Amino acid sequence: MRSSSSIYRRSGLWRILAILLVLGLVAAACGNDDDDPGEGPDPADPDTTEPDTTEPEEPDEAEPVRGGRLVVGLEDEQNNWLPGTGSFANPGTMAARAVYDPIAVRGDDGQIYPYLAESIEPNDDLTEWTVTLREGIQFHDGTDLTAEVMKRIFDEYLSVEGANTAGTVSEVEEVRVDDELVYTYVLIEAVAPFPDILYGAVGWPFSVEACEAAGGRDGDCGNQMVGTGPFVFESWVRDGDLTLSRNENYWRVDANGEALPYLDELVFRSIPDEDARLNSVASDTIQVAHTLRQSSVRTARDLDDVNSFEAIGNNGGGSIFNTAVAPVDDLRIRRALAYGVDQEDLIDVLGGRDITPVQTQFFSPDSPWYSSEVAEAWPTYDPDLAASELEDYVNDPNRSDGRTPGEPVEIEFACPPDPTLLDIAQAYQDFWGDLGFEVNLVSLDQPTHIGRALSGEYMINCWRAGAESDPYVTLSGAFTDPETNPSNFTNYSSETIDANLEILRTSIDFDERYAAVEDIMFELAEQLPQIWTGGTATAVFARDDVRGFESWTIPDADGQPSILGNGVLGATTLWADIWIEQ
Amino acid sequence: MLELIGRRALGMVPVLLAASIITFVMLAMLPGDAVIANLPPDFTQDQLDERRAQLGLDRPIVVQYVDWVTSAVQGDLGRSAITNERVSQMILERFPVSLQLMVMTMILSIVISIPLGVLTAYKQGGYFDRTVTAVTFGLLAVPNFVLALLLIIVVAVELGWLPATSWTRFTSDPIGSIRTGLLPSIALAASIIAVLTRLLRTDMISTLQDDHVVLAKSKGLPTSRILFRHALRPSSFSLMTVLGLQMAALLSGVVVIEEIFALPGLGRRLFAAVNQRDMMVVQGLVLLLAVLYVVINFIVDMLYSFLDPRIRHGYAKAR
Repeated sequence: MRSSSSIYRRSGLWRILAILLVLGLVAAACGNDDDDPGEGPDPADPDTTEPDTTEPEEPDEAEPVRGGRLVVGLEDEQNNWLPGTGSFANPGTMAARAVYDPIAVRGDDGQIYPYLAESIEPNDDLTEWTVTLREGIQFHDGTDLTAEVMKRIFDEYLSVEGANTAGTVSEVEEVRVDDELVYTYVLIEAVAPFPDILYGAVGWPFSVEACEAAGGRDGDCGNQMVGTGPFVFESWVRDGDLTLSRNENYWRVDANGEALPYLDELVFRSIPDEDARLNSVASDTIQVAHTLRQSSVRTARDLDDVNSFEAIGNNGGGSIFNTAVAPVDDLRIRRALAYGVDQEDLIDVLGGRDITPVQTQFFSPDSPWYSSEVAEAWPTYDPDLAASELEDYVNDPNRSDGRTPGEPVEIEFACPPDPTLLDIAQAYQDFWGDLGFEVNLVSLDQPTHIGRALSGEYMINCWRAGAESDPYVTLSGAFTDPETNPSNFTNYSSETIDANLEILRTSIDFDERYAAVEDIMFELAEQLPQIWTGGTATAVFARDDVRGFESWTIPDADGQPSILGNGVLGATTLWADIWIEQ
Repeated sequence: MLELIGRRALGMVPVLLAASIITFVMLAMLPGDAVIANLPPDFTQDQLDERRAQLGLDRPIVVQYVDWVTSAVQGDLGRSAITNERVSQMILERFPVSLQLMVMTMILSIVISIPLGVLTAYKQGGYFDRTVTAVTFGLLAVPNFVLALLLIIVVAVELGWLPATSWTRFTSDPIGSIRTGLLPSIALAASIIAVLTRLLRTDMISTLQDDHVVLAKSKGLPTSRILFRHALRPSSFSLMTVLGLQMAALLSGVVVIEEIFALPGLGRRLFAAVNQRDMMVVQGLVLLLAVLYVVINFIVDMLYSFLDPRIRHGYAKAR
C-alpha cells in the first residue's frame, strides 16, 4: 500500500496560484498525457525486474464495515451495457462487474475458476463444456438464473448476426440444456481454454425478461443492466453517473458469513481527462479511480491520502512490423530495428522507469506463461549488430525495397497524435536515424491508425499487444493465417506457430501447453514481427479509507470465500468485497 | 419584425445545407469508420463487412447523405452507430447541460466585465486600470483548459470549495447545479471577461470625451449616472458584436471544458463522435450548432436596434 507525500502543500493562496500557474503552463507545453504503447525496465536489472507493481494491501486488521457510498472515476464511457452489443473495454468492464457476476473468474494464480457456476467440466475430447450453475441465484428483477436462460442469452444475444461476441463464440455450435441448472457448450472442435471466455461478457448472465421488456437488443435494453451481481442498476446518465445500489438478495457471504456486498451505493462516473480524474480523487470529489497510463500511475503514487494499487498485466507496448511490406519484410531490417533501440531509454522517454518492466514476450514476469529463457533470447540494444544487419541489407543487390545497393533504407513509423506517443516516435526516429535509416514519422488519429493496420496499409505502427486471456486466445488472434484473420496485423504466420497453436487448442496439460507457448515466443524473438518496449502499467487508486481491492475472493462450492481473485489487473476489480473504513 | 425573422429563417436553409454537406464530405474523406473505431474482440472480416452493411456504410457517400437529409427534414436525425441512441433524444438530454454552462458563462462574463470596463475607463491610467489591464492580459494568455486544471487543483483539491468533476441537473437541485457548473463556467468566462473588459474600456474612454458626456458632467450629474446611463449605452455596440461572437465561439469552447470537467453535455459527445467517426451524431450536432450560430447572430442584430433607436427607425423608414 502506498501512501503519498503532498505535491501541493498548503500555503498562501497566491503562492499556490503562482506556482501552479507556472507548473500548469509547463505541463501544458510538455503535454504529459501518456497513452504510451509500453515501457519497462530491464530484466537484468534487479531494480526493474521486480517492478514496483501491485503493492499488496496490508491485511485488514479492522473488520469490514457495512454501508457507505463510493464514487468511482472511469477513463471512458460505456457505449451500451448489453453483453453482445456493448464494447466492454477496461472502464466498462470495471463498472459491469458490479452488476453482472461472471460464470467464471481468473484467480490470483492466473487460472480460471467457477464463480456463478458450481463447476465447469469438459468431456474427454474437450468438445463439450458442461456448466453447473449454483442453486438459488436470482437476477435483480427476481427471475431465476437457469440453464434455459443461458441458452436464450447465447441463442438470441451472443451469437446472432451483428453481435460483437459472435467471433468469440464462433467455435460454439450450440448451447444444450441438460437440466434446470446444467447446460453444455457444444463446440465445433476441441478448445482447451474454452472457460476463459466465460470471464468476459460472454459469461455475464442477464435477465432476458428484463431486456425484452426494455425493447431488446435494438431497444433500450443496453441502457440498463439486470444481472445477478452485488449491485443493482438504478440509473444511468450517459457521460454522467451510473448509479447502483446494494443487492439485498446477493448470494455471496464473507468469511464471517455476513451478506455481501458491504457498500450501500456505488456510482461510476466517466472522467476522460487524466488530470481531472486524479484531482477528483485528491479532492475527495470521487473516492476511487483507475488509469491505464503510467504517467498517472506515477502521479497517483504521490497523492495525499490516496492508496495506489498497481498491476502489470500481460499487455505491453511496442511496435508492429507489416512483414508483407518492404523493407520490413526482410528479417535483417527487423533485426536492425530491434537491436537498434534501447528499451530502457524508450521507457525513460515515457517516464516509466521503475514502473514497468522491459517487455520481451506476450507475458509479464508474473504470468505462469512467462519464460525467462525467452527473455534472455530477446534482442537487447546492440548498435553494432544493428548496423551490420542494416549494411548487409543495404548492399544486397536483391534488397526487397527495390532500391539500388548503397542507397539508404526508408521506413515509415506511424503513431496516434498523443503527446507521449509523439515523444516515443521521435525517440525511435533518433535511434533508427543514428543507424542510417531514413525515418518518416506519421501521426494519425486512432481510428485511422487501426484502420491502416486492418487493411495492411502501414509499415511500422506503434501498438499494444497481449492480454490476460489464455495464450491460445491471444496468439491465435495475432498469428493465424492473415488471409482469413484480419487481426493478424503483422501478417506473420508460420507452420511452427500453427502447430503450437494446435497444441494450445487441444491440450489441457500445462507443461505441454507451456512448451508450446515458449516455442512460439522463441520464434517471435527470432523472427521479430513485432518489438516491445515495456509492460502496460495500470492502477486503481482510492482514498485511503477504501479497502478490499486486492483481496476480493472467489467462492467455493458452498459460497464461502476460498481463493484470491486476480486483484486489480487491467485496472478492473470485483466490487462485492470493497468496503469503507469508518 | 416578422418579415425579418422570416427572411433569416429562409437564409438559414443554405447555411445548414452547406454545413451538413461539408461535414459529411469531410468525415467521409477521413480514413476509418465507426466499425473500426468500435472493433469487437475476435472479429472476422465477414463480421466487419456485415456491420458496415448494417450501418449503411457500404453505400456511396451521396446515397448516405441523401438518406440522411431525407430523414432529417422529417425530424429523424438517425441513431448513433456506437451507442444506438437516437440523436434527437441525445440532443434533448444534453443540450440543457451545455446551455446552462453557456448561460452561466455569459452571465459571469457580463456581470464582471461591464463594471470593470467602465471603471477602468473612468480611472484610465490609474493603479486600478493598470492592475486590471495586467490581469486581463494574463487571462487572455492562459488557455481555458489550463485554467480549468488550475481551478480544479486550487479550488477543488486545495481549498475544497467546489467539486472537481460532477454535474447536477438544474431541475433536480438548482443550487447544486450552480455549484457543479461554476468552475467550468469560470474557466470558460475568463478569456471572455478579458476581451470584453478591454473592448469596453476602449470604447468608454472615447465616449467619455463626447459632448453629451461633458454636458452631463457640467450639469453636475452623479458619476455613476454619467457612466452607466450616458456613456455605457453608446459604448456597447462593439461589446454586443463581440459578445455575440464569443457566445458562438463558446459552442466550440465547451467541447474541451466538458471533457475536462466530465460534464454530460453536447460538446463532449461531439468530441467523442468525431473520434469514433459516428457520422449521424456529428451531423446532428453540427446541424444544431449551425442553427445556434444563426440564432445568436440574429439576436445580436435585434439587440442593436434595441440599443440604438436610429437602427430601428432606419429599418422602418427603409420599409
